[in-house]
Formats: sequence, structure tokens, C-alpha cells
Amino acid sequence: MSTPSAGIAIDGLSRRFGEHVALAPLSLTIRAGELVGLLGPNGSGKSTLLRMLVGLVRPSAGSARIAGVPLAGDGLAVRRVATFAPGEIALYGEWSAHAQLDWLLRGRERAAFPRARAIAERLGLPLRAAVRSYSHGMKRQLLLAAALAPDVPVRLLDEPTEGLDPTKRGEVLALLREDRATGRTLLLSSHHLGEVDAACTRLLFLSTGRCIADEDARSLEQRAASLLRLRFPSDAQRISDALARVGLSAARTWQAPGEDGHTWVSCRLEGSDPRPAFARLSATDLPAPSAVQHGRLSLTELYHELYGVEGV
Amino acid sequence: MGRELKAYAWRALGFFLVLELMLAGAILMFPNFEGKMGSLRAMAPLESLRSMIDQLEEGGIAAYVVGQHFFKGCNTLGSAAAVLFACPAIAGEAQRGTLELWLARPVSRTRLLLERFAFGWLALGIPILASSLSVPWLLARIGESMDVGPLVWCSLHQTLLLGAFYAIAFAWSACGRNPVRIAFVMLFLLTAEFAAYLIMQVTHYSVFRLADIDDFMRLVDGAGLDPWICGSLTAVQLAALGFAIWAFRRRLPA
Repeated sequence: MSTPSAGIAIDGLSRRFGEHVALAPLSLTIRAGELVGLLGPNGSGKSTLLRMLVGLVRPSAGSARIAGVPLAGDGLAVRRVATFAPGEIALYGEWSAHAQLDWLLRGRERAAFPRARAIAERLGLPLRAAVRSYSHGMKRQLLLAAALAPDVPVRLLDEPTEGLDPTKRGEVLALLREDRATGRTLLLSSHHLGEVDAACTRLLFLSTGRCIADEDARSLEQRAASLLRLRFPSDAQRISDALARVGLSAARTWQAPGEDGHTWVSCRLEGSDPRPAFARLSATDLPAPSAVQHGRLSLTELYHELYGVEGV
Repeated sequence: MGRELKAYAWRALGFFLVLELMLAGAILMFPNFEGKMGSLRAMAPLESLRSMIDQLEEGGIAAYVVGQHFFKGCNTLGSAAAVLFACPAIAGEAQRGTLELWLARPVSRTRLLLERFAFGWLALGIPILASSLSVPWLLARIGESMDVGPLVWCSLHQTLLLGAFYAIAFAWSACGRNPVRIAFVMLFLLTAEFAAYLIMQVTHYSVFRLADIDDFMRLVDGAGLDPWICGSLTAVQLAALGFAIWAFRRRLPA
């Protein structure tokens, strides 16, 4: 690997398409060896950011350095130190997967091809078959094999597990973790909160072109500590009203599948200690909670907190 | 690059085979044609066609060969080949969605574009030259002969005209995303230009005046390439290629 010490440095990078702001000025640093997840709803600017970082979309303003290489011109210098797997899959259906891999690796070192072949074989891809016979998920894996094979310090992956079954998704995440363990920097976008939770060391949340949260394991822990989740054998309205009367606000209520007659409620605490909240709770006429969770924050919760919608 | 080169090689082979079949058929039919030239003149519905038959009669076998092979075969089939080779070059990638992957590799855009341009240009020019080189052998079958030298110059002259069509279609492809539309418009314009050649009142406005029997016969007679015509055609190609590079370097893949 040429320059493993450098990650990604973005300074005021932005992109407008006419009046539409695809990405508002964004500044952040991703250290070498980080596996960073880029999360956000459709149209939040995830793919635009990744494409800009490899020179496929010209920034309206700002600058970036990938593995110490400045993003300039058509991004050729950056593409020499970073691989990119696009989110939209379009391949040459008439070619064999073997030929397609060879084509995808043009401009890379010779050893990249056997590595890509090994990754493809590990993922169970038939390389002699024509690409048109591949399923959507297999095409995705073929692109990923080509993106993970070259010996470059940075990889940019747009929706790398989209369209994969849970088993393959697990294998791909294992590959990403192994890649990160070699010191490479990975920036990936995803809609799948569960997988990002499992694989990434840091999460960036984008919304309408703006980065609205930058979380690592520690900040997630702090957020989790300020959230108390309770399950009551009662309805949502009654719980919310009762909690409001004792000064506890229900951040969110929901019913879990198969738990008819029970309602979950999450309350934000003033600190990380849940005991004062329990003291207030005892003053309500609510039945005793049938389940209590504290100190755990799922990404779905975080997604809801940031966007007001359920994560997927 | 190898796979793309191979794809263009197949196109070149196909173009060559069709050209060669047309040429062989025309040459082997010459004795029959020669004997019926008077009847053909009487039947010709247009003044331009009668004048063409006069040219063939005066020029003999050389005029017949350049008329059949270059003016008729290459100008018509070659124009179609030029357009069909150029239109999908970039617009086809955009249409099928592979442009992003094409550009995501660590290869400069200028290089990618120049490679495609060169492959297509050679796929157009090599079959014209190769089929022209077979003329002496084919003529020997009917007891005629012709020097190779003038045929090479005629091939080059013809390739420069078709190269100009190719370069214009290529430049359009570099900034377009619908190869079928580009092909239809280009083929319509070239067909209209060829039709204009046959109408005496507007024939001098036809671009095919730059590569007609008179031009080729001058080359056969040893006059050499016309610097104005060839220079202009080369300039058109360079301008179109320059535009294509400019447009392609600014192009977004999505």
C-alpha cells in the first residue's frame, strides 16, 4: 500500500445542481484505518459526496485530499489511490465476469486481478459465466471484488451491500472489516442501519445535503446513556399523558410486532442516571413496566432521533 | 483495452467483408456493364447519372473502379459505417449506464476518448485500404489491370472524408446520451447530402462533391492529394476531436 497513513480530508466541499443543493459545504477528516458509514435518506447527498471524491462529479466549491492526494481536474490522481464501487449497477452483460473484472481493473497493478479473482471466488461468483446471467446481488459483489482488490489506501463504496441476501451481506461486511484491519480507509454509504452498526467505526448522517451528525462509538454510548426505554401493558396515549404529568417526556412510542397490548416508550433523561426518572415514574398511575432498557441505543433509534423516521 | 479493440476489429472485419463483396461483384460484372453502357445511358432518369456514365465511358476501367468502389460503395456504406461506429462510442456508454464505471478507473479521460476515436477511425480506414488493395487481383480475373499506388491515395482521400463524418458524429456522441437519435439525424443529413449530389441544380452544395469520380480520377492520373480538400477535411476532424475532448472532460457520468 503506497500511503497508508493518510485518510480523507474534506474542506468545504459542496455541490449545487442549479438551485438544488446536492451537498452543502462539508468539512471533515477521516483518519487512516477508519471504516466510516455514510447514512441518510435518499437524496441526502451520500452518492454525490462519494462521486465527488473520485472526480466523477465536479465540486462547486471546496477541496479534498484523498490519501494525501488533492482532488483536482478530472480526479485521475485521486483514482490512482482510491477505488470506487458505484451504487448504480450497469455492466457489460455480453462479457464474461472474468473479462468484466479485467476491464474494471484497467490501470491497476497486475496483482490486483488475482486478488479480485480470489475475492470473487470467496463470494462464490462463477467467473466464466456471462454477466447477463448474474443476479443483481452477484453483479454488486463483482463490483465489490474489483473495488477491494487493488492495493490502494482508500476505498469509496456506494451502497456495497444493497441487494445482497443476509448471508452474503455478512460475508461482504467481513471482507470490509478485514480490509480495514490492514490499515485502509473505507467510506461507505448505506441504508441498512444494522450492517453499518456492525461494521463501521464511525457514522456520518447526511440530510438534504448537510451533515447533521458525526458519531463514533463513544458519542453513541453517551446518547444511549441518556435514553431510557420502557415497555408498559398499556396504550400509548395513556402512557404519554401519565409521563407528561410527572415531567417526563416520551421521545417516541411504538408497538413491537407480536406484542399486542404492550407499548414501548423512550424517554430522554437529563443525565445518564435513570434513578430520578424511576422515582418520578413511581408517582404515576401506570402499571409497572414489563421491560426496561437503558444504555443501549440502536441505530434505528438514532435514525429516528435525527430524521424523525424509522431507519431501514 | 484489449476487449474494446477486439470489438472494433470485428466491426472493421464486417465493414471490410461487405465492401469487398460489393467490389468483387462490381468488378466481375464489368464486362457485362461495358457492353450495355449505351442502354444504361438511355435508361438513366437523371442528367447527373447520364453524366456519370459518360465519365465511366471516358475513364475506362479505372473510372469504373473508383466510381463503384469509392464513390458508390465507400461513400454510401462508409458513411453509414462512420456514423454507426461513432454514435455509440460515448453516448452508448451513457445510455447503458456504464459511463460511470468507465470513468471510475484510473485512466485519464483524454486517453479513453482518444483510444475510442482512434479505434473507430482505424476500423473505418483499414477496410477501405484493404479492399482497395485487392482491386489489382480482382481486375486480373477479368483481364484488366490497375496500379496500387493511386488506389492507396484514393483510399486515403476517401478515409479523410468519411473520417470527417465520423469525427462529427463522435463529437456529438461525446456530449450526447442517445446514440440512436444521433445516428438517425446524421444518417438523414448524409442521405440528403448524397441525394443533393444527384440533383444538378444543387449538386455543388453536396459534401460528396469532395470525393466524386472526378476527384478520384485526378488521383489515378497522378495529381496527388488535393491539399485544400484534404487539409480542410483533416481540419474538420481535428476541430471535432478537440470539441469532443473539451466536452468529454466536462461531462458528468450520471
